[in-house]
Amino acid sequence: YQRGVEIHQKTAVTAIVEKDGRVTGVQTNRGFIQCNKVVSMVAGSTPRITSMLGLQTPIEIFPLQACVSEPVKPFLDTIIVSGSLHVYVSQSSRGELVMGASVDPSVLHSTRSSFDFVEELADKMLDLFPFTGRLRVMRQWAGMSDITPDFAPIMGKTPVEGFYLDAGWGTWGFKATPVSGKTMADTVVNDRNHELIEPFRFDRFREFDLVGERGAASVGH
Amino acid sequence: MKLIPCPDLGPRPRNEFDYGGEVRRPPLDADDKCWAEYVYNRSGQPGVLREWWYHRPTGNWYVFERDTQRDEFLISIPLKEVQYALPSDETTA
Repeated sequence: YQRGVEIHQKTAVTAIVEKDGRVTGVQTNRGFIQCNKVVSMVAGSTPRITSMLGLQTPIEIFPLQACVSEPVKPFLDTIIVSGSLHVYVSQSSRGELVMGASVDPSVLHSTRSSFDFVEELADKMLDLFPFTGRLRVMRQWAGMSDITPDFAPIMGKTPVEGFYLDAGWGTWGFKATPVSGKTMADTVVNDRNHELIEPFRFDRFREFDLVGERGAASVGH
Repeated sequence: MKLIPCPDLGPRPRNEFDYGGEVRRPPLDADDKCWAEYVYNRSGQPGVLREWWYHRPTGNWYVFERDTQRDEFLISIPLKEVQYALPSDETTA
């Protein structure tokens, strides 16, 4: 408990309470939290939260899968990304090849990984590095990517007063966390979108003013 | 290997299909705001979704209702049920 922050684990939000178009609190499985500002930054779980307020968004959830091979002696000291094969590979400090491709083709709210993914990935990896043909895949996993139509995030105020969103980052955004944290904090405190995140406002879809995000990974542009 | 229960052919491998997204009906007579919402917004939350699936080997479109959390195909919907008339159809009729 430093700087006035509390972290409540195993506490699920079950409803967001609003009155006259503004937030008055959050219902959880461990009790009610009264508040007038709520920030939702839950990535793949965003639609569950926005539907609690009846908020329509363009966000759709697609699994993004990845896998890791058995460890081998170091041979790769860079990350390889192939635009034509649509595959990426790097070697971890444990010697494992970390590999992935693009998001799953259909919507799914689950972190399950599939044989289809590993089969297609192996095909591309063999194109890239035929000598990996006998490497064993040790583990595979998936995350739920919250994808928007322009692959850019949705940040800042929403039509519900006191409810702020930082979502829709999809397959990327880890490196943007420091600046998105800073701009979101400024936005919440002053109740208006920080100028740096104005292009990512919730209303941009209604205004047909999309971003066209070239920074997004693992998606076709 | 995941299978999709095709109503014409029986269970087929999932990778024979292309995902066509949610079945939606455009608001044919609407203002800009309605159109923007139709073009971009989706039913993003987990649940049963009515979706288009294109079977590449046969070139046929199918509509299925699928549980998007458990990834289970529930029923197939006849195409007649999702058809709608376009304004041009009505004026030339």
